[in-house]
Amino acid sequence: MEEVLYNVLGAIATFLVAFVVGMTYGGLNRKITARVQNRKGPPFYQNFIDTLKLASKKSAIHHGVMQHFGPAFLMVTSVMSLLIVPVLTHNQWFPNLNFHGDLIFLLYIMVFGPLGMALGAGQTGNPNSAIGITRGLSQMVGYEIPWVLALVALMIQYHTTSIVGLMAVQAQSGTWLMFSSPFAFIAAVMAMLGMFSYSPFDVVIAPAEIASGPASENGGKYLFTMMSSGSVFAFVKLTLYVDLFMGGADNIVILLVKTFALYMIPVLYSLTTVRYRTEQSIRWFWGWPSFFGLLAILQAVIF
Amino acid sequence: MNTIYIIFLIFLGGAVFTYFAGKIHKVLQDILFLVSILVPAYLFFANVEIGQNVNLTLGGISLSWGINYFSWLFSLIVLGLGSLAAIYAVGFMKGEKRRGYFYFNFILSIMAMTGILLSRDLVSFFVFWEIMTWSSYLITIYNGNKVQSIGIKYFVFSAIGAYAMLMAIVMVHHITGSFLIGDMIHAYPAMALSMQIWIPIMFLMAFGVKAAMMPLHVWAPGAYSNAPMAYTSVFSGALSKMGIYGMTLVLVTMVNHIPQGVWFREVLAWLGGITAVIGTLWAIQQDDAKKLLAYSSVAQLGYIITGIAIGTELAMLAGLFLAVMHALFKGTLFMVVGAIEKQTGTSNFTEVTGLIRKMPWTFLSALLAIIALAGIPPLGGFVGKWMLYESLITSNHYLLVIVIFFASTAAFLYCYKFLFGFFMGQEEKEWAHVKEAPAVMVLPMLIMALFMLVLGTFPGIILNPINHGLQALGYADSYKHLWDTSIILNSWGNKVVLQPILYSIAGIFLFFIAFLTWKGYKNTRFISTKDISSSGEVPKEDENLTFSVGFMQPFYRAVEPAMRRQIDKYYNAFADGLEATFEFLRRIYTGNGQTYAIYVIVFVVVMLLFKDFLF
Repeated sequence: MEEVLYNVLGAIATFLVAFVVGMTYGGLNRKITARVQNRKGPPFYQNFIDTLKLASKKSAIHHGVMQHFGPAFLMVTSVMSLLIVPVLTHNQWFPNLNFHGDLIFLLYIMVFGPLGMALGAGQTGNPNSAIGITRGLSQMVGYEIPWVLALVALMIQYHTTSIVGLMAVQAQSGTWLMFSSPFAFIAAVMAMLGMFSYSPFDVVIAPAEIASGPASENGGKYLFTMMSSGSVFAFVKLTLYVDLFMGGADNIVILLVKTFALYMIPVLYSLTTVRYRTEQSIRWFWGWPSFFGLLAILQAVIF
Repeated sequence: MNTIYIIFLIFLGGAVFTYFAGKIHKVLQDILFLVSILVPAYLFFANVEIGQNVNLTLGGISLSWGINYFSWLFSLIVLGLGSLAAIYAVGFMKGEKRRGYFYFNFILSIMAMTGILLSRDLVSFFVFWEIMTWSSYLITIYNGNKVQSIGIKYFVFSAIGAYAMLMAIVMVHHITGSFLIGDMIHAYPAMALSMQIWIPIMFLMAFGVKAAMMPLHVWAPGAYSNAPMAYTSVFSGALSKMGIYGMTLVLVTMVNHIPQGVWFREVLAWLGGITAVIGTLWAIQQDDAKKLLAYSSVAQLGYIITGIAIGTELAMLAGLFLAVMHALFKGTLFMVVGAIEKQTGTSNFTEVTGLIRKMPWTFLSALLAIIALAGIPPLGGFVGKWMLYESLITSNHYLLVIVIFFASTAAFLYCYKFLFGFFMGQEEKEWAHVKEAPAVMVLPMLIMALFMLVLGTFPGIILNPINHGLQALGYADSYKHLWDTSIILNSWGNKVVLQPILYSIAGIFLFFIAFLTWKGYKNTRFISTKDISSSGEVPKEDENLTFSVGFMQPFYRAVEPAMRRQIDKYYNAFADGLEATFEFLRRIYTGNGQTYAIYVIVFVVVMLLFKDFLF
């Protein structure tokens, strides 16, 4: 019983850290984008103000049961994957349920939320939501290929399918996997561009085109839940990459430095390009990223 | 008298009586139908002991029927799904025409599948196989639509498979002098190499047709979608598993004994993977739910074939677990389509939308079945998918795992299309009158959905009989080593503990549902799907906002080059070629007496002219 309580408290603490870090990163993204475009931009804490405002609002209308469920489904994915990915290497303060951090379980729990959210958005009857979702699912098939190629390469090279196992490999050899399996890292980072769906892969929300897509009928607490889920999930993704390729982090400062460096890749790349069409985006992922993924597998087989 | 005889007698007698009972009263017919499926199913599980054998001699050939742990596993699928589908069928067939014909063939095909599983000799195996093919063929053409294009295609492919199997049986009998399956397995390692290769190939052809394996799959989408949905759930859920059953037997008991067996396995595994990709890509494109599910069945069977073809312990567990899961979720989904078709008269996504508030229980079972199909935790599909991936990775099939992964990620697209197409989106006035399906149809769906949920957390319930079945085939015991009641492991020692997953998902979900709806839920008011903000404007009442045509177009555009090639076209070209040959032959055999007279005269003249050379 005590252990369960300890786990739950740890999960809440991890969630709060993820929420704060994710939100701050989102704010910094807005600020950096604005500075690059020669605007002043909002303060970095603007996202906190936005979410707090949304959380304090009351909803007057709803479209049915699935609309209530949608954001909750989305949260399940974020929190579950947060519980699987080890936040710190020797986590005294952030224990997670871990489930032995299995990567394939992670891949599948990652789609639980978007699919549930898709149903919630579907019930609103807004065609823009459904269009956004079909785009999002299509693009997911695109970036999952290089991503899985990279993961499979790691798995067969180091004979483990768990995140903890891969971290142990790095701790033992002293080299980060981004150096010992460079092709896998390249493929995975290219896939990460799709996961964050910033420009040029922002086909899902496509603000000027389909009015924010799936989120378009949600407001108040619903939008708050979706936004915070997005922030937590961004933190999870970055932490996962740090764990897999950069040897994890011993304390929170190192974690922040590493994740922020990684986060700059999609942010800065998004500033250089405009939006792709969905099929262009899919084919982009099946081009060079998948090629590097195949190289990674080749490397894993040969060495 | 032995229970096995009684079971077959009830099946046969039940089929005949049910057929004629319709002339007396419809309710009597329904009751007789249920009795002749449920009673044998009960007798089978209550009275037939594993390892029991009965022998009888018919026309000089000794037949042997019995059951082992492996066939018991499949009888669980056949009789379990068969019973639920029978209950559903009573609701589905209410008010339909030619119920006697449908019931008769339904009972016969359940009997034939049970018979296949009980057969210990090749003759009764073949006879039951043919009864299964015939009865399913007759149901496929039940509604009289497209008999030419769909019925004939199914039958031609089944016939090709059946002849291949017949030839193999004759060859085996020639070599061993016995029809017993056990004798064949004993004699196999000592056979000549050419026989060792040809006999499995012929058997695999026969089983590949029923399991809808690429390139023998082209009959499946048509046949699955043309049969009444009450039967298709059995057709796709159980009947296709007979192919898997046979394949497993051939692979494990025969091919494993020769060094060339590894090639059989690799080819089959890749065929399974390619089947999965092709089935998935075509499923995404379909606008008819029946066709979508039919192609999806082809794809799912591809995973199962890959699993059993890899053949390591974990892969076998994965393949057979997926087979059970497939029976459950595809059975449910075809029933869902049947219920919707029954209530609305169509199964086309472009016609019917927004049923979620009208058919909530159907939606719930469809949702759970789709989650299981997609392989998302905490439902049972995840366990099967996880085991399949781990078995592929640990047995060094790195490229195949990518192929399979692509197929199952792309499967999310049609999963969403199915749910959105029927249940989400704009609620149209045209469908305002639709009511939930009758309880007799909804209950079987919900029971199966519940099973899927339980299996997601406690897969040991099914993995235990699978383990026994595999041990009967000569595999080592994998309990505690690869699975436990609610833990799954791979051979590298990585594991997933399933119970905490279910509890944390439920906990997080309930917490946020409470957060979203705790306060002010009562004050919110329900609004229609027309009352939305579309680009800042509220749409007018007559504005059409339904989104269902060209649903997955962005994805389809990206994969278009891959879809231009179709195996069906090659078959059709082959058929056209044959037809041209026959046309040419018809010019010779005109059927006209005068032409034949000329042939005779020409023949005689030629003989006379060249008699010196010829004789």
